[in-house]
Amino acid sequence: MSSRDPAAPRRGTIGGDTFAFLLRASPVQWIAPHLRPRVMVAIVTVAAVLFPIVIRNDADTDAAANALSYAALALGLNIVVGMAGLLDLGYAAFFAIGAYAYGIAASWQFTPPWSGFWEPFQYLHLVARFHDTGGDVVHFQVSFWLMLPISAALAAFFGVLFGAPTLRLKGDYLAIVTLGFGEIVPIVARNTPTLTNGAMGLNGVAAPQLFGWSFGINAMPYYYVGLALVALLILTSLRLKSSRIGRAWMAIREDEIAAAAMGVNRVKFKLLAFATGAAFAGATGTLFVAKLQTATPEMFMFPVSVMILVMIVFGGIGSIWGVVLGALILQILQSWFLEDLSQWLHALGKLIHVEWLQHVELSSSIELIFGIILVTMMLYRRQGLIPATRRVQALSLSEQTAQVELSATPAAKRLAGFGDISYRGPDPLLEIKDLTVRFGGLVALRSVELSVPANSVVAVIGPNGSGKSTLFNAVTGLVSPDEGSVRFAGESILRLPPHVVLDRGMARTFQNIRLFPNLTVLENVMVGRHARLHSGMVGALARLPGMVHEEAAAREHCLEILALFGNRLLPRVDHLVSSLSYANRRRVEIARALASNPKLLLLDEPTAGMNPAETLELAGQIKSLHQHGLSIVLIEHKLDVVVSLADNVVVLDHGEKIAEGTPDVVRRDEEVIRAYLGRSASLGSTAVA
Amino acid sequence: MTTADIFLQQVINGLSLGAMYALLALGFTLVYGILELINFAHFNVFMVSSFIGMWALQLFGLSGQSVVLSGFALIGVLVFAFVVTMLSAGVLGVVIERFALRPLRGISGTAAMITTIGVSYILFNIILLTVGASSMNFPNPLPNITWPIAGAVLRLREVLIWIIALVLMTGLHLFVNRTRLGKAMRATAQDADAARMMGIDVDRVIITAFFLGSALAGAAALIFGLYYNLTSFIIGYSAGLRAFTAAVLGGIGSVTGAMVGGILIGLIEAIGGQIFEVRWTDVIIFSILVLVLVFAPNGLFGRAAATRS
Repeated sequence: MSSRDPAAPRRGTIGGDTFAFLLRASPVQWIAPHLRPRVMVAIVTVAAVLFPIVIRNDADTDAAANALSYAALALGLNIVVGMAGLLDLGYAAFFAIGAYAYGIAASWQFTPPWSGFWEPFQYLHLVARFHDTGGDVVHFQVSFWLMLPISAALAAFFGVLFGAPTLRLKGDYLAIVTLGFGEIVPIVARNTPTLTNGAMGLNGVAAPQLFGWSFGINAMPYYYVGLALVALLILTSLRLKSSRIGRAWMAIREDEIAAAAMGVNRVKFKLLAFATGAAFAGATGTLFVAKLQTATPEMFMFPVSVMILVMIVFGGIGSIWGVVLGALILQILQSWFLEDLSQWLHALGKLIHVEWLQHVELSSSIELIFGIILVTMMLYRRQGLIPATRRVQALSLSEQTAQVELSATPAAKRLAGFGDISYRGPDPLLEIKDLTVRFGGLVALRSVELSVPANSVVAVIGPNGSGKSTLFNAVTGLVSPDEGSVRFAGESILRLPPHVVLDRGMARTFQNIRLFPNLTVLENVMVGRHARLHSGMVGALARLPGMVHEEAAAREHCLEILALFGNRLLPRVDHLVSSLSYANRRRVEIARALASNPKLLLLDEPTAGMNPAETLELAGQIKSLHQHGLSIVLIEHKLDVVVSLADNVVVLDHGEKIAEGTPDVVRRDEEVIRAYLGRSASLGSTAVA
Repeated sequence: MTTADIFLQQVINGLSLGAMYALLALGFTLVYGILELINFAHFNVFMVSSFIGMWALQLFGLSGQSVVLSGFALIGVLVFAFVVTMLSAGVLGVVIERFALRPLRGISGTAAMITTIGVSYILFNIILLTVGASSMNFPNPLPNITWPIAGAVLRLREVLIWIIALVLMTGLHLFVNRTRLGKAMRATAQDADAARMMGIDVDRVIITAFFLGSALAGAAALIFGLYYNLTSFIIGYSAGLRAFTAAVLGGIGSVTGAMVGGILIGLIEAIGGQIFEVRWTDVIIFSILVLVLVFAPNGLFGRAAATRS
């Protein structure tokens, strides 16, 4: 596409030139660009594996093992906060649940009297019978390796339990409820000493064993388990992010309403995010307690939740590699650097005879530093160290100013591969009867009737505030109607949630454009495909052939849809939609709706803000969609568009239908002229527009 | 004491706690009503204010329960302490708004909320590092005057707290409903864009909300000190969570709701602590928060603010 060589020296700032020169001179240049990420991963992996062997210092390996635990926690919180956009301030609670689960299942804390009930468990080596002076008791000795997944599942269960009440509320409330939850869990741990030994904490938690060899207190084995866990969680995060699930999460983060209207089941996917994040913390808690061999309520208080939040804010919210880096840097800062810096300051104080410098203990002010990092990052670098959204090269001047070429093959022909988007049932495709919507005292729609026969274009017109968009919202499930019936293809869809309405085959656009601003053009359109894809968690994580094939096909399909708009969108598929022009955003929104294979497309002012040439172009494209068999309901102010497209026009005024008929009939209707132009105009003129 | 007497005593205690929570809840609700932002910094503005109040009282040589004042001396000292604490807290709130939150205005998502957490954490740690972790003895200049009511005891402390809270809440009510700026606040809370187009200086309204909310937190902090006779760097967390629950219970964004919610939470804490054990109080309060959010997200007096779409 572009004739520009990306490696060519850039004229401009000195810094840019120097950087480009260094890049050219560095060994990085010897590696083919598409291999660079893999080489980076390989280098990091080798370095991480060799670290304890090279360092040969148990204290440093121990600190590194702890840092890995926090990296695992940061990855989990990143699923909740970074991908799904749900602020969780009590994340340490799930860490605690995983920690206490293993702590209780592998220590002498809870020893009920022995009975026959425990025999099957004894057979499975989960418990042992222990002879005590007061009678035989049960000793729990569940394997660490078994507890890793169990703790993850247990934490996920609590994640769902505590996420569920708040999911219908605004995101802010989740923050406060999780804050409360984060406080409650340590309190419960402190107040139930039979299970947790209260404030004193669990003691003597068994170290993990591998083929009969106990990990003991040496840090090295824990380091490797932590490394494996982090690697697994990075892989999980990466695969989820590029799957249907990850896209649904990011869509919810960007615009919940639009996500629902595009077929994403909000409740299900928010709970899934919450459960996944909690599961990461549960498994990490088990590892953490196995390493420390103790667990106290203080290990899981609010400051821990804040620290993990600081890690992901510092590394880059939503950025998988970023949050790992953020966690490692802050842990290194805490474990090593602040100690050293304090020593240097003491020495400096001695040197220049400043008394207070000799007593500075920076490591005790780590939480203050965390607070400062949080505020500073939010004010000056919200994207963090490694931004989650990658930048793409801007289009060259020639690409930007390229002639609009509408594809050689007509749009309708391209659509042939889309599958069946026409409806041939006996009933009208959409039939609205007696639809009434009230907002408090205001009647937004009053007993509106509307019928959309199969394979037709119906335009809804009316002055601003006449209830057109409310009609769309009521039909698609965003607003709950007070009275009336809505039938789609013969079945009632009244009060169905938006994602179900989309699944039935009705997709919409929004008057004020509701795209997902921080996703690319292609990702936006792929979200529109959500309801037609079926891969779940297992498919995404294991990269099952079915899922890989489905994703590739979906991508192809979405590119085909984008090709409807010729070279308007195709050169920009990897650009963030927030960087697009207004007209292109409207096109992306239409493409996103089309990706769900709708039988009926609801377009809310599709040509608003477009110039006459663009309007004509889009009207032609809508027309070709219709010719292919797609039925369309159109809200539009530009009457020439209405006249050229619509078979039937419905006019709303003050929430009531005042006229209906062919465009020619409607434009001569006295009532319509009066609604648009007022009474006096209707006397002097006979036509609108 | 009979059960009825104990109950009456806990009602008296609960009303005092409730007055404090109501004042603190007003700060959450004022800011949320206008910016739709949960201001976590409010937790520790309250905590910092309690130290400011302590230092203000110490200026008169008051420490612990050693010096007891009466008459005009007592009233003068209390007025001075409340004015200084409320002004300082109000200024602190305005500074936070101006430097940490205004740059983020209009940015969607969790950025502003995360910033308030950061600010809260900074305040928390500044006090921890400068004052230390042990709780401080709060000066108590109030004479120990008591009136028996049935089997319960009503102390001068309680009566004073009620009067102060009543005066402040009446003042706020009059301000919001009777003044020009109060009208501008109500308009901004309804629709900030429309208010701006009508010529309302929205920045000034937001600063006012932060100033008033934080000043009331200052008053609540002084009441906390006078009630418990101590302060510490950790008091912001649990008091803040209770006050936030009060604001939600009353209907967040509603001034009346925050007052009523505060009193209710105070009563629930006092009576609930009597029925169950005190160590479970936090669990009870948190359960109320969750139950209200699930079953009545608009609270007692709220507009349809909490649910989305």
